[in-house]
Parts: sequence; structure tokens; C-alpha cells
Amino acid sequence: MAVCPPTIGEFSVLPIAIPVLPSFPRSVLHYLYVRRNAPKIPTVNDSRSLFLTNVPVDSTELQLRILFSTLVGVGRFESVTFEDERKEAQHPLDSQPAHAARLLAAHGKKRKRENEEAERAKEEEAARLPSTWTRPLRKSGSTAVVLLADEKSADQVLKAIAKVHRTKKYPKWEGGDASGTGRAAPPLGLTWLKAHNRMSYPDRSALQASVDAFSTLFAKKEQEAAEIAKRIRNEPDEDGFVTVTRGGRNAPASRNEAEEAKRKMIERAEKKKEGMTNFYRFQLRERKKEEQAELAKQFEEDRRKISVMREKRGKFVPES
Amino acid sequence: MDFGPAKRRKLDHAMGTPHKVLQSAASIGMSRSRTFILEAEELLEEVGLDYATAFGGAEELLHRIKGSIEAMETHDAIQISEAASRLEKKHQLKVPFPEPRPPKTCNYKVSLVKPTQFNVVGSYVYKTMASSQPAHAVDMVVVMPAETLQEKDYLDFRYFYKRAYFLAAISATLQKALGTTAQLSYELLNGNPTCPVLAIKPVAETKEKSANEEESEPAIDYAIRVIPCAPEGLFPKTKLRLGAALFRLGRPGEAETSPLPTPFYNSTLTAETCFIAYLKVIRQAEKKCAAFKKTCILGRIWLQQRGFEGDISKGGFGQLEWGLLLALLLQGGDSKGHAALSGALSATQLFKALIQFLAVTNFAEKPCILGAAQQELDAPSNCPVLFDAARQHNVAFKMSPWSAELLNQQAKRTRSLLNDPAVDQFTPTFILKADLSLHNFDLVTRLNHMGAYEKTKVPDPRGTAWFVGSDVYRILKRALADEELGSRARLIHIQMPPSSPWPITEKLKSAKNPTIEVGIVFDPANMSRTVDKGPMAGPTAEEREECEEFRQFWGEKAELRRFEGDSVRETVIWKSTTPYELCEEIMRYILNKYLHIGALEEDLTIFGDDLPQLLSLKPSDAATFNAARKAFNTFERDVRNLEDLPLHVRRLMSICPELRHSSVKLPLLVPSKSGPQPLETVISFEASGKWPESIAAIQRTKIAFLLMIGSLLEKSKEGEVKTWIGLEDAGSDSENLAFLDVVYESGAAFRLRIHSDLEETLLERQSKDKTQEQHVRTQASTLLAMFRRLYTHLPLHTQIISTMVTRFPALSPTIRLLKHWFNTHKLSCHFSDEFLELAALHVFLSPYPWDAPSTANTGFYRALHFLAHWDWRADPLILDTGGDMSKAERVAITTRLEAWRKIDPGMNHTVLFVATPHDPTGLACTALNGHARPVKVAAARMTALAKSACRVVKADGVALDPRRLFVPSLADYDVVLHLNPKAAKGALKTYPADDPAAMETDSPARTSQFKNLDRRTGESPLPLAQHPSDALLRHLNASYAGALAFFRGAPEDGSIGAIWNPQAERKKFRINLAASYKPVVGAGAASGDDSSGEDDEEEEAAEVGLNREAIVAEIARIGGDLIERIDAKGL
Repeated sequence: MAVCPPTIGEFSVLPIAIPVLPSFPRSVLHYLYVRRNAPKIPTVNDSRSLFLTNVPVDSTELQLRILFSTLVGVGRFESVTFEDERKEAQHPLDSQPAHAARLLAAHGKKRKRENEEAERAKEEEAARLPSTWTRPLRKSGSTAVVLLADEKSADQVLKAIAKVHRTKKYPKWEGGDASGTGRAAPPLGLTWLKAHNRMSYPDRSALQASVDAFSTLFAKKEQEAAEIAKRIRNEPDEDGFVTVTRGGRNAPASRNEAEEAKRKMIERAEKKKEGMTNFYRFQLRERKKEEQAELAKQFEEDRRKISVMREKRGKFVPES
Repeated sequence: MDFGPAKRRKLDHAMGTPHKVLQSAASIGMSRSRTFILEAEELLEEVGLDYATAFGGAEELLHRIKGSIEAMETHDAIQISEAASRLEKKHQLKVPFPEPRPPKTCNYKVSLVKPTQFNVVGSYVYKTMASSQPAHAVDMVVVMPAETLQEKDYLDFRYFYKRAYFLAAISATLQKALGTTAQLSYELLNGNPTCPVLAIKPVAETKEKSANEEESEPAIDYAIRVIPCAPEGLFPKTKLRLGAALFRLGRPGEAETSPLPTPFYNSTLTAETCFIAYLKVIRQAEKKCAAFKKTCILGRIWLQQRGFEGDISKGGFGQLEWGLLLALLLQGGDSKGHAALSGALSATQLFKALIQFLAVTNFAEKPCILGAAQQELDAPSNCPVLFDAARQHNVAFKMSPWSAELLNQQAKRTRSLLNDPAVDQFTPTFILKADLSLHNFDLVTRLNHMGAYEKTKVPDPRGTAWFVGSDVYRILKRALADEELGSRARLIHIQMPPSSPWPITEKLKSAKNPTIEVGIVFDPANMSRTVDKGPMAGPTAEEREECEEFRQFWGEKAELRRFEGDSVRETVIWKSTTPYELCEEIMRYILNKYLHIGALEEDLTIFGDDLPQLLSLKPSDAATFNAARKAFNTFERDVRNLEDLPLHVRRLMSICPELRHSSVKLPLLVPSKSGPQPLETVISFEASGKWPESIAAIQRTKIAFLLMIGSLLEKSKEGEVKTWIGLEDAGSDSENLAFLDVVYESGAAFRLRIHSDLEETLLERQSKDKTQEQHVRTQASTLLAMFRRLYTHLPLHTQIISTMVTRFPALSPTIRLLKHWFNTHKLSCHFSDEFLELAALHVFLSPYPWDAPSTANTGFYRALHFLAHWDWRADPLILDTGGDMSKAERVAITTRLEAWRKIDPGMNHTVLFVATPHDPTGLACTALNGHARPVKVAAARMTALAKSACRVVKADGVALDPRRLFVPSLADYDVVLHLNPKAAKGALKTYPADDPAAMETDSPARTSQFKNLDRRTGESPLPLAQHPSDALLRHLNASYAGALAFFRGAPEDGSIGAIWNPQAERKKFRINLAASYKPVVGAGAASGDDSSGEDDEEEEAAEVGLNREAIVAEIARIGGDLIERIDAKGL
């Protein structure tokens, strides 16, 4: 492998030696790009976290922990958030009725108390379905944010990366079952796929419990929404209007009935229209004119199509 | 044929310039035919020849030839054999006498007199050549001087001997005169062995020509044919009538027995005298009808694309016959002498009229007489007749009964195509080549051996092959296409060996082992019949006669049998089961009985049955599919009978290929070791207002529902049914989350998903909700598409394919073969089952220029042909499954495709566009999860592979070994992942008793070493939520979408191919690149320097290169022990 630059842009380049596997017996280097985390919306932890890009697809927290401990020693690594996990966090369990979500967004209470929030989180966790994979795969070239113990550790990591380039002793990417950690990441390959199939068929009672938890949560949220709706139904806003919400005095008309009525109306309108076509002479004349125009238009179109085909050639040459 | 009112004709009259043609075309209604007219005009322009440049030097050469012939040596009458040997010795050439050669003892004499009448005839003078025809020839007739011939020369080949001598003399003269500037050879006029002609090919001249005029079209390779002919009116027409017997030589003692008629010989003689007459006929037609020439060219192309030419081995109906037929119809076709066609018609109208004429007249069945017949036509049967009464000549004399039949069929097909206003009429009519045996015939047999065939008493000039051919045709027609028994074959065709030119210094070598090919088109309903029920054995004389006739024909095979209803019939029983074997058995038996061909294995070579054997397709497969269907019905009943369900079941629908006769593998209906393989179904309930108003909540409710159905089923069918509830590999809570696997003890298994109508409404609302964020709306519309696919399109599609499979018996095997082909070429992971099924269905629904395929063989080859020719960039594939799609709907579909191509010219989102009446969006089966399926690369690969397959089919002809089409080429892939077969098999089995936590560590000690102690023994494995190979591929695709495109066939495929994305090779460095990249040393040299300002680098944005090794190593880690070996090119 040719020499590799220690930095690229504002990123430090961290080459990682990939262990050799029998199915692809070659020693290769993977390049991890590291810099200080500087998100657009700063958080308190920015100073002690590092931003990685191009993480290996089979990255787990454990593997990154091992990697960082080989760089700067044990105890500096706190946690890691992968790109897909961050995205997931932005979309919490969608357990609200559609109309409730809108109402809550517009008129919901400002902020819930903390313990209430924690309770809700717990409930949501219970309502989540069990995962069917022992470990996820990342997208190739995706990013992660590593949280370290303190600001100093972040400096040390970057320094260690610079040193790696001098010593050419590249850290190894452990499969996860490296001795000393005690824990191992679940293996990939056959076992991983088999475990997936097994986990796709979860225990029936556990599944039932999860579904039950969800319905409780859902009922609760629906009730909340109903309360808000009731509240705003009676409260005129600053312009003096009262918002129309679901669940007023009159029960909503059945959807089927409404559709039926609409269909009938359209039918009636069509019938009426039909009776009045070709009734007057001018209508006939106009129709004929339209037809002629349509013909002329189609002819032009055909001509255009033919010329397109001619450009492509080959279309008009009989095959041999 | 309706030519429209008189007014319209007038409009057509004044045509000439293309502009006027277009104008008049515009005034004729019927939009499709209008396009057809324009396209035909374009075609005529395209194939038109510039005669001056194309035939550069031809005029001059003709003059030289004429001059030399006029100056030829003459002599007085000499005895013919002496004259011939003298000529042969003097000029070192051979006299091309026809067989049988003149006996040495014959004493008639030949003389040579300078010919006076020369004429250039044929398509060169009429200017009706097409640039696409295989060979171009300028025909020049030389009329033999009348004084050298006698009236009685029509007997016993005497005219033809004299003609041959005359031709040899001309050859000798021209050989001397032209020297090396031209190459001389003999060839047979239209393959007729009695009529050799001299072909002169200019050698050096053309080369100079093309060198001089580089900018103009290169001159074509043409030949000048010198054709000796007889003067008009030499022979009395009455003597040459079709039924006359003019060959009496060699049987002087048998004069009292009436000799057999010689229609071919007689017509050849009349043809010899009619050259000039027909030249006049055509000249007149040309004058009378402005569109005559164009119609001739259109006809030439139409015939040529169907393999018809004037040559006897090519049907005997070519450009000349077409032109004559047209001219005769223009000048007085019907019996009263009135013109059948108006000269004012346009070329396309005339073309359609002729097609119509050919479609309703079968020359072989009933003689067709044009003009007022002066006398009774005593044509022998089995001889196609198209009689020109004015000139007493059978125009179709070169045709055989089978070629007349084929021509009639082809015309019928084209007629039905031209009557179908919805489809593209032009391409199948003129562009597609429709003469390949493999596309046309279900089975082709080659007769390698002519049998102990006795020479019949009538020496037909066409030779033994012809005799055998016509006998084979007659026998097979009776054996296979008997109307009363129920015709097994729709068409029987015989391909004769073609003739080729030979040098003038040699004798015509008759082919040592002429082989005849017999092509048969099956009637799928009757070909698999094993019992032929003949006539009823009854007491009446009539019945007895019939039985006698039947017994005589079938010989020892015929036996009397009693059938239900107490009817006793003559019967023939066959042993074989498949249509191919049956056909072979019958052919071998009957040909052996009559012609002594086929007793030995190598007498007949049968082509066409290897393809179904590749997949071991059997007729009994249909029964297995039906059994699956029955099991499904049982399942439906069981679900409907559940009493405690809160909602009524509205419908239970099947959505998987196994339940529509179209899976490559047969459905598994018995318990197997590898675990149940659930067949997918969806269930829908009555409308209910109780579904929660949130998509996620609906999904959870579905789980609850499934749990309930599962436990109810287990309760009601205790011991018979086991159910498993499985989770989908879903990405979000709004997708379908779970399914229920119902496994019957008997082995059948079903997978159930629930349809909720509210889900669709919610998704629809969400995708149209302008207040939502864009990504939410996109997601909603993707989910909506998935929903519709699963619950609307797939059930409908299953229904349609099931119906079509019963309508077309060959559809099911065709689909399965096509899928197998996609599997072997590692394409199927990119194509949905539905698309492949629809593509196969297409060749059945619009089969033009053929009929709907009657076996998997033709079906498969034509499906490949279609895939190779489908220009999916510009054309949608429209399947009119209901048969009632309106023009407006089709236009709307095409417009939609055009709109897509405008929005997305790079075809990143929409690639293939397949519309059916229930899916006018065209994407239901070619898009998945909001992505195109296939992607452009895969679609292009499909076309490329289909094209090369078609090339092989064309090049190899009937001898094709179909296995060649199914050889995958792994060399095309940059990376090939070889799966460990043992591990892949092991991945299929997981057991409910397995502890997922324990599996993570994968300790082998988990299983006991004694089989009977293993707790898994006796337990049947879990169904597969998704095939492990599918799961792996899904992950690989998700992780490396930017860098690699993966190719894999069926889930059982032992290897996965992948190709690097060339666009991902090098990138400017940034966050979130779509794959793993490494710093490139050369490009980012500046970045190696630490001290250089960082700002510069940022602006430069250092380049990075794809880290291929690391990616492959990653894949190796993901695959783990499942991947045995990775071959990566260039790594």
C-alpha cells in the first residue's frame, strides 16, 4: 500500500488493518476519517465527541470501543451514535392517531413534566416490536459520532492517529470476539442469518404483550387528543373563530354513505349532460370541428413520431 | 376488403409526390392505418435503390453481352450428343443438361442460329427491387430462334436439351468475350432443375466504381442472369394443359396405360414461352395503376420477411408471382373479366387487398382461376393452382401444397394483424423476420435418409427429394392433421434443400444426401391425445367402408375398442405421454409403414424437445399446480369457517406464482425435511369503521388480528394445523409488520397478510396532504404503491395469469422457461415475477407476425425475440389482458411514458413501463419500494443477453442445443461471491426450539452428538421468513447501493455476481460518500504536505478513490462462513 496522507481536508485519516478471512485472503486497509464533532446545532457534548465518516458496514459499539482503546487506552470511550440511529431518534414511535398528531402540534401543552416523559418513554419501549436482527449493518460510507470521556481524550485520539502514520502500526479491526473484553459482538454470516429467521418468529405471548402495550398507549393518546379537541372546540381563538374539530354534536356521516351520495350525484350530472349533447345544430357543428382538429392534431403527431423513428433509423430497415 | 366510398378513391388518385401522399393520408380516417401508411411510405423510401449508382455499369455490360451473343458462332443441325461433346471439348465447359440426360442414342439434332430477340425483364426493369433483398439480379432473356425449335419439342425434355445446349453455346461465347472482367457460373432459375441460366458477375468493375464514388452509396453486388427462353406461341397451349402427360420416353411398350400427368413440366414449358407476354402484362399494370410498383416492393418485403421467394425450395411464390397476381387482379381478376381491384388505390390499400386475397384463397385446396376460363381445368389434386386464363399458365406452378398452405396462413395472420387497430401493425408486417424454424415450428424433424424409395414412374424434374417430400407431406397430413380425429397439427411444412450456383466447367452435382426438414406446428389441445378414436364400427356399408379405410391407413396399429356409451370404434393407441414424444412416435410409425423411413433411430432427427427437458417440464405439472390451488381452496374454507372472527371474511386471495401455474419449481405439497414453504395469500375483511385512524395502529391491529386467526385456526383444526406468526423485515412502523404462516400437517403451507381498506385511504390522504413535509409525502406514496401492489395488483395479476394459463396451455411452461433463463443469467433478482409473466404473456396476446405459440418451445424463443426487440426506452409494453382496451387508453399510457422520460431522462426512477388495464400507471410490476426494478443496468443487460441469445438461435437454426442459451457467464462480473453450498443449505433450517441468544455465540456443542437426544429431532423446522440468500442480498444492496450492482438468479443460486459502478470510481472527498473510499495519493499530493494551508485543500477538495479491497473484505465479513470464496477481478 502506498503512503497515505495523514489528513484530508479537516479530517484525520485513520487506516485500519482488516483481518484476513479465508474467503478473501488479502490484507487490506480501511480508512476511517475523523474530526472533532461540530454539528450545526451545537450541544454540550461537542467538545468531547469526535465525528467519524466512512465507518465499516459491520461496525458495532463494541468494535469501536476496542479500536479506541488500542489508540488511547481503556476507559476513554463512552458511547457511539451511528447515523441510522440518529435518524431513528428523530422519528419516534408513531403511535398517535393522525388527527391527534396535528392537534397536539398546534394546541398541545407546552412541556410535560420530566417523570411523565420518562414514563411515556418506557411505555413506548414496551410497545416496540422485538428486533429481528442480532446486529444491524451500516450503510457503506456512513457516519458516526463517538462520545469520549473528556475533551482531553479527543485530543489524544487525534494525536494518536497522527502517530499511527509515523509508526505505520495500524490498529486492527477486531471481529468483536477479541479476548479481554469478555463480550463479543454477535457473529455475522450464517449464524446471523439463521438467528434472523428464528427471531422473525417471536414468542406469541411477548408479541401479544407488545401489541397490548401499544393499544394502551394509543388509547391514552387518543383520549388526550379528544380532550384537547374538546377544549379548543369551546375556545374561540384570537380572531374570534372557533376551530371545527372531530367529535362534535353530530356524528360524522358514514364514509360509505358519503361515497354513495357522491357517486349518485356524478351519475345524475352525467345523465343530464348526455341529454343535452347533439341537441342543437351548433353542438353538432362544434363536435365535428373538434373531431377534425383532433384528426389534424393526430396526423401531426404521427408525422412527428415517424420523423423521430427516422432519426433513429433501423426502424425502417427490414431485418435480414 | 372495404375500399371506402368512391369519393375517397378520387382523393387517392392524384398521388405522386410524397407530400401529396401525406395529405391524402391525412384525409383518410382511421388513425392507426394512417400511421401505417406513413410508415410504409417511409419504408419504401428507405429500401428504394438508386439504380444508376447501384447498378453502375450494368447497362454497359448488358450491351456488351448482347453484342457478343449476336456475334456468336453458328452451325447447322448436328446430332445433339455429338454437338454437345464438341462444344464441351472446344471450350472446356459442360452443357448443363437436366436430369435425365439425353440418351446417347437419341437422334434429334440441334442447330445454332443467332438469336434476334433480347429483353431485359424482371424487377430491374420495373424498378421494384428493395435494397434489403438478399441478392440482386438483372434478368435478360434471350429468345431462342424459332427455326432451331420444333413444335413437338414439348415432349420428353427435348426443348430443355436444346435450351441447355443453347445456353452452353452462349456461355462459351461470353466466356471468350468477357474474359476476366466477369465471373460466369450456372445456376438454376428459381431452383428449377430443368432451367439452368447463366449468371454473370462483374468482377473488377464494381471495385473501381466504389473507389471512384466513395461519397455515394456503395454499389451493390449484382449479377446479370442470361435466361434462354422459347418464342411465344411455339407450343400449342392445349397440349400443355395441366393434366397432360408429356413425358413418355422410355416406356414404348406401355403406351396403352394412360401416363401420369406432369403438371410441373407442363407449366415450366408455358412459363418458358410467357416471359415476354408477362413483361407486357406488367407494363400495362404499371401504366394503369400508379401505386403498382410500390405495392410490388411492399409485397417483396412482406414475402421476403416470411421466407418466401420464387425459388422452389423457398415456397415458389416470390416477387414475380406477387406482381403477376396484382397485375391480373388489376386487369380483370374475376370470372367475368372485370377488374377486381381499382387502379386508383394506394399502395397500402393494394397491399392490404392482396393480403386479403391470399388469406381467403388457398391455392392448394381449390384451384384459383383468374380471368374467364375457356375450358375445364383438369389440374391434378395436390398441385396448387393460380391459373391465368388469358395465357393458359399456372402462375403458382412452383409452389407446393405445403407452401401454399403456409402462404395462406401467413396471409391470415397478417390480415388479423391489420384488422387489429390497437397494436403496432407496421413492424410485424415488414420489419420483423419471421422465417426462423425455431420461431415458427414446435417440432422440426430432419429426414436423413430417403428410405428405400422407389423411383416413381413419372420422373418429375424436381428430383427425389421432392417426391419424398410430397409423400411425407401427404402421409403426415393424413396422420396428424385429420379433421375427424381432431387435428393434432395446425401446420405441416416441408423444407426442401436449396440449390446453389455451380461453375460452368462442371456438371450439376446432385446433392448426395439431400435432407428434408419437416416443421410441425402443434395444436396444443390435441397433440397430447394418446387415444385416436376412429370411425364407429357399424353394420352399414358406409360405416364398414370407413372402418376399412381407417384400418388400411393405420395398418396393424388400428384395433377395435369399446368405449363408454357402448360405442365400438376403430382406435389407435399411442404409448408416449408428452406431445413431442407422441408426435415422434406417430411420425416414426407412419413414415416407416409407408416410406420405410424412421425404423432406425438415425433416420429421423427430431429437434425441439430438448428445451422442455432442461427444466424437466412434464404435462403432469399442471396437475401439481392444480393441487396447490385445491389446497388453497381448503385453506380458504378453513378460514371462512372460523366462527369467532370479529369481522366477516370478504375474500382470501392468492398472490404467489405457485398459485398461478408460473413458478419455476413446483409447489411443495407434502411435508419435507427442509421445512414448509408458505404460499402467499392476502385476506380482506368486510368494511369496518373500527380500524384505528393511524397507520401504525392499523399495523398493530393487524398483528392482533393475525394472532387471533392463528389461535382460532389451531383450535378448530387441532392437530392438523400449526401456525407461526412472523415479523416482516420492516423499516418503519407504518409498513406491514407481520404475517401468519399456517402450516398444514399434509405439507401445504400458507402465508397470510391482512388487507385493511382504511390503510389505503390514510396513505392516500397523507401522500396528497400539502401541509406535510415532502419526505413524509414521498414515504406515504411509496407505502401506498407497496400497499396497492400487495393487495390490489398481485391478486388481480394472479387471477389474470390463472385465466390465461387455461386459455393458452403453453403459457405456463413458457413462463417457467423464461424465468429459468433469467435465473441462470443472474437477472431474476432485478425483475419481479409479475413482469416476467407479463412479458411471456405478451407473445401470446399479440403474437404477430406469428400465431399464439402452441408449445413452450416457440413461446420461449419468441419471448426472447420480444425482449431483444423491445425498445423499452421509447415504447411501453401494453398488455390488453381484457381484450377491450380503447385507443384512448393506449394513447394515455404512451403519453404517460413520454412524460416520465421527460421528467427523468436518465431513467433513474422509471425504467421499464408495463401497463395493463388494471394498472395504467405502468409501474406496478416494475417498481418496488419507490425504486425502479429492474434498474437501467439490469434492463440493458437483459436486452443485451436476449439479443445475443437470439443471434445464437438464428445462427444455429434447428440444430441449436438449447443448453447453450442457459450458460451463465461469470466472467462478466467484477466480483463473484461463491456461496458455501453446505452452509447455504444449513441456513434454510431453523428450529423453534433454538434459542436465539444461544445461536449468537454459535457454539457447536449446542446440538447433542446423539441424534435421538437432540431436542430438534422430530420437530419440523420453522418456515423461512425470507430466504437467507434474499436477506443477505437485501443487506448487501442496502449497504453498497452506490458502489456495486449485484446480480443473482433464484434464491438457490450458488453465486452472486457484482459489478462496480463506474461513476463511483473517484469522488471529491466529502461527508456521506455513498461507499467506502480511500485517499488517492497521486491526486491529493498536496494533502500529503502537512504544512500547506488547510484552506487551499478545502477548496481543492482532495479526491478519493473507491476502496474496492476494503469493500470486498467487508462483504467477506458480512457473509462470514456462508461465503466460501470471493473472486474479485483486478484485486
